Amino acid sequence: MKALILGAAAAALLHITPTVTLVERSDVVSRLLPGADRFTAREIHLSSADERRLHDAAGWTPPDDVITFYLGKRANQVDGVLVFMRVDSPHGPLEVAVGFDKAGAIRGVEVTKATIETKPWIVEALRAGLTDRYRGLASDATPGAATTVKGRVGTMSEYMAELVDRGVAHAGAAYRLFYR
Amino acid sequence: MLYDLRRSDARVRWLVTLLLATLGVAYVFGAWMVGMYAGFTPRSVAATYVEPTAMNMPMPADNTMVVEHDVTPADMGREPQHQVDRDLLIQDTHVHVPMYGVIAAVLSVVALGLAIPRWMGFALITLLFAAPWLDFMGMWLTKLVSPHFAVVTLAGGWAMGLGYTIVAALAFWQMWRPERGVRT
Repeated sequence: MKALILGAAAAALLHITPTVTLVERSDVVSRLLPGADRFTAREIHLSSADERRLHDAAGWTPPDDVITFYLGKRANQVDGVLVFMRVDSPHGPLEVAVGFDKAGAIRGVEVTKATIETKPWIVEALRAGLTDRYRGLASDATPGAATTVKGRVGTMSEYMAELVDRGVAHAGAAYRLFYR
Repeated sequence: MLYDLRRSDARVRWLVTLLLATLGVAYVFGAWMVGMYAGFTPRSVAATYVEPTAMNMPMPADNTMVVEHDVTPADMGREPQHQVDRDLLIQDTHVHVPMYGVIAAVLSVVALGLAIPRWMGFALITLLFAAPWLDFMGMWLTKLVSPHFAVVTLAGGWAMGLGYTIVAALAFWQMWRPERGVRT
């Protein structure tokens, strides 16, 4: 009986709550690819060698070995690139949108999806200015925005900030290795 | 008639009522799930079951492939189409077909207790069993022969809903209709 109760409690604690949209992707597109009048999806289907290269560089493998870059074009010239990164955690997945400018620096970062459980933690980290710290960062720089909100937000929000850092790092590695 | 639901014991009618209500809830959520993953249009059903194309085939292990296509901001916001590959469809068929058979049999047993003409009983039982056949036949034909067979799956789904609705409506009406001059 005790095992049953403990099992039920563990299941209740570990279960993943439904996904919630924090920002619509269409809003993200207008903010991170401003002024673009045409969009192209560039799908990179990784070979096993490139998958290993990415894993060695970022400790990450994309779902189905596919990375999709969205190119925003103005007058047929690429003006920026946007990539959506999924970051998994025991509390459910997050989706982080990372926009790069023409020069390859980060134009902006937005958290587009969370779960019912993680949303308040994410919102707290965002209110502490988490995503402002990524602006202008080079794609090969190590994102450390989580350290800047440390002590100003709760423990779980600090953890969420680290997950966002991880998503930005994955996006940077993908951009550096397979877009440029 | 093998038995008459109208004159059956109240406990039997209560059992049938709860059974139909439970199946009804399952059908509503089934339809909701279909809407989420496969949709209700021939195009979306075909996209779910059609064999993978060059765009989404697993890549050979020795080269990275780049595919580009124009999109709109709305396309970027769209969730990727859920796809059922051959392995998953084998598993789905194995799991669902027996359960659909049991549900069709249970509804057929309820239909046997309805006060309807003999030919209508035959038609109703045929409809109840034809629905899952059409449903899965459509999925397999879509995968193996042509995406145009998605309409067969849609027909199967609607037939399933129709069969349940006819049985449930007739059963509820015949079991619980207040009879004139009879005090219950």
